[in-house]
Amino acid sequence: MPASPVANSHTFAVSTPSDTEICMTRLFDAPRHLVFKAMCEPEHIRRWWGNLGDGYSVPVCEVDLRVGGAWKFVNRHPRGEAVFYGVYREIAAPDRVVFTEIYEPFPDAESVVTAVFTEEQGKTRLTATMRYPSIDVRDMVLKTGMEKGAALSYDRLDEVASRLQG
Amino acid sequence: MPTDHLSTTFAALADPTRRAILATLASGECSVTALAEPFAMSLPAVSKHLRVLERAGLIARGREAQWRPCRLEAARLKEVAEWTERFRAIWERHFDSLELYLQTLKKKERAHARKSRRK
Repeated sequence: MPASPVANSHTFAVSTPSDTEICMTRLFDAPRHLVFKAMCEPEHIRRWWGNLGDGYSVPVCEVDLRVGGAWKFVNRHPRGEAVFYGVYREIAAPDRVVFTEIYEPFPDAESVVTAVFTEEQGKTRLTATMRYPSIDVRDMVLKTGMEKGAALSYDRLDEVASRLQG
Repeated sequence: MPTDHLSTTFAALADPTRRAILATLASGECSVTALAEPFAMSLPAVSKHLRVLERAGLIARGREAQWRPCRLEAARLKEVAEWTERFRAIWERHFDSLELYLQTLKKKERAHARKSRRK
């Protein structure tokens, strides 16, 4: 896999702090209030989230940024559409935001996401912890490649699969 | 979406020995004895891994009485590769995209600050 040329990309890390959690963290070269804004305000969210190149767009990005307010993102991608939605539980700008998240094909697998923003040597660290209802659901999410390590270990399988296709 | 059998497949793939077995089988069908060779493992232990792979539909085993060669089942592996590809590194890309967008936002904010100082 070629190294990403984007700044701070190497600071991206995924861990599993408990049986039912996945934690992702990354440094961003921007002040905390901006990172918070980019994560929480729809006019900013739709500029980066799901905006992954040709064939990707965000036709729906609705955010009712208050406790109990709903959010919904739709990501159109080359193979179809992915719909995510949830409800805000806690909003403490620019320190943290807590919300529920459901990926439409798995309505029973609601996760609770806690995003924490901390200042670190002039940059901002975002730490997002996703808590799943059970270890099975978490492992399903992990095994579908959200963890970089898992993605890497499946590289070999991709090789195998492409040889088979060839 | 065939989530349940995908979960079985992913569970089967979660083990490094089983992934190594699949990599070996990518070069062609193989007997259990030959598969066991590179691993410091008893035949029954290897057979156990093979049963997991077979249940997950990742391999098939010949019915020839003694030899029962194992071979890869391409369809299931392709399905897994496609599924994995959709999610692979997705968050890294989202976050890279956020980093790039933040640089735009930062510039905008600085320009705005300069403008308000001039007023």
